[in-house]
Amino acid sequence: MRLSRRSFIMGSAVSLGWLAAGGVSAAALAGAPATNALVPRKARPSKVAVGEWVGSTCQGCTQWCAIQIYVQNGRATRVRGNPLSKTNHGYCCPRGHLIPQQLYDPDRIKMPMKRTNPVKGRGIDPKFVPISWDEALDAVADKMMALRQAGEAHKLMYMRGRYSSTSTDLLYGTLPKVFGTPQYFSHSAICAEAEKMGPGLTQGFFGYRDYDLEKTQCLVLWGTDPLASNRMVPNTINRFHEIVARGTVIAVDPRLSNVASKAHEWLPVRPGADGALAGAMAHVLLTEGLWNREFVGDFKDGKNLFVARKAVDETAFDEKETFGLVKWWNLELKDCTPAWGEKETLIPAEQIVRVARAMGKAAPKTAVWMGPGVAMSPRGTYAAMAVHALNGLLGSIDAEGGVWQSSSPGSLGKFPSADKYVDELAKKTGKGKKLDGRGAKDMPAMMNAKPGSGVVTNNVANGLLKDPEAIKVFLSSWSNFNFSCTGADRWDKAMAKIPFFVHMVTNASEMTQFADIVLPSTFNAAEGWSIITNMGNGHGYASLQQAAVKRLWDVKQEETEVMWLLAEKLNARGFPGLFEYYSTEFKDPETGKAPTTALEFSEIAAKITSAPIWKAKEPMKGDPPINGWAEFKAKGMFSGPKYALKKNWGKFATATKKFEFYSETLKKGLLEHAGKYETTVDDILAVSGYEARGERAFVPHYETPKRHGTAKDFPFTFIDYKSRLNREGRSANTSWYQEFKKVDPGDVAWNDVLKMNPADGAQLGLKTGDLVKVTSPAGSIVVELKLWEGVRPGTVTKCYGQGHWAYGQIAAKDYARATPRGGNNNEILVDDYDRLSGATARNGGFTGVRIEKA
Amino acid sequence: MARMGMVIDLARCVGCGACALACKTENNTRIRSENQSFNWADFIMHTEGTFPNTRHFVMPVLCNHCTDAPCVKICPGNKKKAGKGKPFKALFKTPEGITLHDPELCVGCGRCQKACPYSHEELDNTSLTGETYSVISLNAAGDDPQPFWSGKKAAIAGCTATGAEVSAKTKVRVPAMNAWQGGELKAIRSDDVIEKCTFCYHRVQNGLQPACVEVCPSKARIFGDQDDPQSPIAQVLAKERSFRLREEKGTKPNVHYVGKYSQRG
Repeated sequence: MRLSRRSFIMGSAVSLGWLAAGGVSAAALAGAPATNALVPRKARPSKVAVGEWVGSTCQGCTQWCAIQIYVQNGRATRVRGNPLSKTNHGYCCPRGHLIPQQLYDPDRIKMPMKRTNPVKGRGIDPKFVPISWDEALDAVADKMMALRQAGEAHKLMYMRGRYSSTSTDLLYGTLPKVFGTPQYFSHSAICAEAEKMGPGLTQGFFGYRDYDLEKTQCLVLWGTDPLASNRMVPNTINRFHEIVARGTVIAVDPRLSNVASKAHEWLPVRPGADGALAGAMAHVLLTEGLWNREFVGDFKDGKNLFVARKAVDETAFDEKETFGLVKWWNLELKDCTPAWGEKETLIPAEQIVRVARAMGKAAPKTAVWMGPGVAMSPRGTYAAMAVHALNGLLGSIDAEGGVWQSSSPGSLGKFPSADKYVDELAKKTGKGKKLDGRGAKDMPAMMNAKPGSGVVTNNVANGLLKDPEAIKVFLSSWSNFNFSCTGADRWDKAMAKIPFFVHMVTNASEMTQFADIVLPSTFNAAEGWSIITNMGNGHGYASLQQAAVKRLWDVKQEETEVMWLLAEKLNARGFPGLFEYYSTEFKDPETGKAPTTALEFSEIAAKITSAPIWKAKEPMKGDPPINGWAEFKAKGMFSGPKYALKKNWGKFATATKKFEFYSETLKKGLLEHAGKYETTVDDILAVSGYEARGERAFVPHYETPKRHGTAKDFPFTFIDYKSRLNREGRSANTSWYQEFKKVDPGDVAWNDVLKMNPADGAQLGLKTGDLVKVTSPAGSIVVELKLWEGVRPGTVTKCYGQGHWAYGQIAAKDYARATPRGGNNNEILVDDYDRLSGATARNGGFTGVRIEKA
Repeated sequence: MARMGMVIDLARCVGCGACALACKTENNTRIRSENQSFNWADFIMHTEGTFPNTRHFVMPVLCNHCTDAPCVKICPGNKKKAGKGKPFKALFKTPEGITLHDPELCVGCGRCQKACPYSHEELDNTSLTGETYSVISLNAAGDDPQPFWSGKKAAIAGCTATGAEVSAKTKVRVPAMNAWQGGELKAIRSDDVIEKCTFCYHRVQNGLQPACVEVCPSKARIFGDQDDPQSPIAQVLAKERSFRLREEKGTKPNVHYVGKYSQRG
């Protein structure tokens, strides 16, 4: 017990008092009920805080929830979901409640900074000093102009991290184009891009799906934990218990996740064997006749010819909305028996059968929610196809209680075209080859089935290391690739060689340590202006981000204010295109006036995008009409109409217009890519690291997990997952993140534990609390061990989000010494890709590790 | 008279943490220090079984506002300060059945923490994993009750702020301070007093739900008068099997649990 001087004295006095009073108190108490311990006493009145709920948008994950911030005297105090939201029902997930802490983080950068130590590297103090915006932007504009003058505009690179879905056009969409560089990259491929290949190559929808949680009878959460992360977290939390009560919930995840804790069935699949599990389930659905007739069709004579190991005549089956079912069976599924499935996945055959039957019985009201755990692995495209194709068999595509394509709020305002501001030099230098290697023979990156169209974010570091002269000036915003990309130390090496790096961020992150100029950003959920669009629960929506609070520091919004000010600087140096574009083409939809300041530009951009909502001649479909900007600001959001069932039946955006179990869409893309290199599809697949050859390449199928590190040297398979408190790697500097880190199952507050099965711990002589060194072929981290039954022997798991060696004084154990709190998973995860999509691998058991006592 | 209480439906709860975070924003509770959590709302977490038959449970916890509250009974209060014949206990029951705290009468002795079956005078590392918790926390005498916002060290001198600087700039002790006004209750506490859940007395007195109830995305919490048969809480308690924590202590808690967190086992 802690005894302060006063409490000790008071404590003693009170004790003595009690002793002294002992003799007389009983009588006294009897006559004086007011002093009896449990006699109620009325409390004096209280008043709730006076303030106002202001609409804005949370960008703590990719759901981009419409929220409201409670503002008291210009300060943000509390957060809730926007009560008008049809997607979050007026609730935010725990992330939203971290907003005030992130906003008022003392470690935020207050003003622009300049590096004074020319030596760059991890752990080397940049010796930042404060400078004015003028000085900072002069320095940036001078460096950019030098590139233009040398005819080297292409040596400018811009990389975006998180962004506004509309304002991004003012930076990502405009600056590289008008300036003349092809080197601009989105972070997208480190997120969950490979997921899109599942619905993309089967139903022509390269996007994130929606799920009819209100009506579903069987929910299969596969490689995703939407009670915590992925997408639609508030909607999932809101509806989960109803689905558990009325139907069946199945969780497929190699570690005991939140959904696995609450599901009826947990299938801890061997990491990377998801394709085999999907194949075995599809085998059961077909052999037991559980496919959905309305969507898939039936055998012409009604007799089920799907018998294990027996090929079927393609003409015997009459398909409806699908294409290639029998080809798929013959090429892949006929041999995927539950017994085979058990061997590959370590899930008991009887559980595979039981679960497949539950899915089939509830169909088409069965939603297979496929997440990054399935897809973000070196051969993830095929796993994504295999898992998503189950929705095709179950007929849940666009069905009530099933899986939907995304909804839109309707057509929003577009920014004027910048085409006429692209000068001759920009046209010339803007056309070069991109540094991320997309479209290379071994990197088809065929997002939208178009080879070479997908970004390969994490490969930019390799591009930079290969060609250190390629980039002279690098701008980046709302990003931290040195922390968020696998093979993180490649970024440390690459960034150390960039001659001039400008970082637009709120906090001095790991990547910022390599910056020459730092431009402090607004915290856009509370300080910026923009329109953010997303969807969920059957509705698309547009949600306003508005400057809800007074800014404490000299910070500016990267995509609007900073671009305006930079354009002014470039204009003054004889490069007028950007400034002319921003200052003459953009007109306030209310007043017709052009912007004259950075802040005006910011607000006008938000007004242009949202004008169709509040200033339309014809009201938009969905929510009741909104009259004027003021009313839109007060409401903060607009939702479009509810998703129409069976919307895409008969007109899927595939080569055949059908849901393709045999993907003509993929075949077309692969043939195009092979044609470009005058080779075969088999050769492309071989150099890209896939196992399929011949016709199998065009059907969803199982590819064995690729693993870096031999079983002998790296005996444990590492499993990465995301915290329900991660605001995309940016919340670890809040004390509440640390205090409640335990809300991730198995995790420990203020810590970053590696979880290992107790049987393995016993064998290695390791116990909970031991410091262990975790080594992979990519690197090592040192963290605390926790023995836990939520993970299979032979695998270990740790959450992503901790291990910051910069960012702030809470996130890092010692910011000044660059000592991390815990260890960053990306320092041990190997830099590898699902090359068909260009997505970075982070799941599927692709990294082997060894564990030693540190 | 009423008997306010809470039901937490564990079948609805997903252990997300929103309630505990909203409690911190609502009540401006400070950062953990000196083995005190200052979490008026917290969680018990428990994993059991052997892989793959592993089960994980989460149970939100808070002050149980016991009818026979040991904290009230033990509270020495401050007779001298209260004045002769006046109620002198710092911890007291209101007519609504809520256990409140009057910091003016608190001497910071921490006896309530010892007497409370749900509290500890000192939390150890087991509170970081959800094995233990404490619903009463003590601001020790002479301690800074909001130490984070007195911080003097900048990450990058001259370029980033300090806790104290953010506090000064926002002109409130805690920058995100939810500035409600209490009678006995204080929106932020001073040193040498304990603090705990008030069932958001300042809110419920004004017709609002407690913050943890209002923000729960799965509507797992119901707050209301157990003695009013029309109230949702009374109806749920009449209909469903419920339990309370450490019933054997005879404290008659007013926080009840219904439902099963895990469907397996």
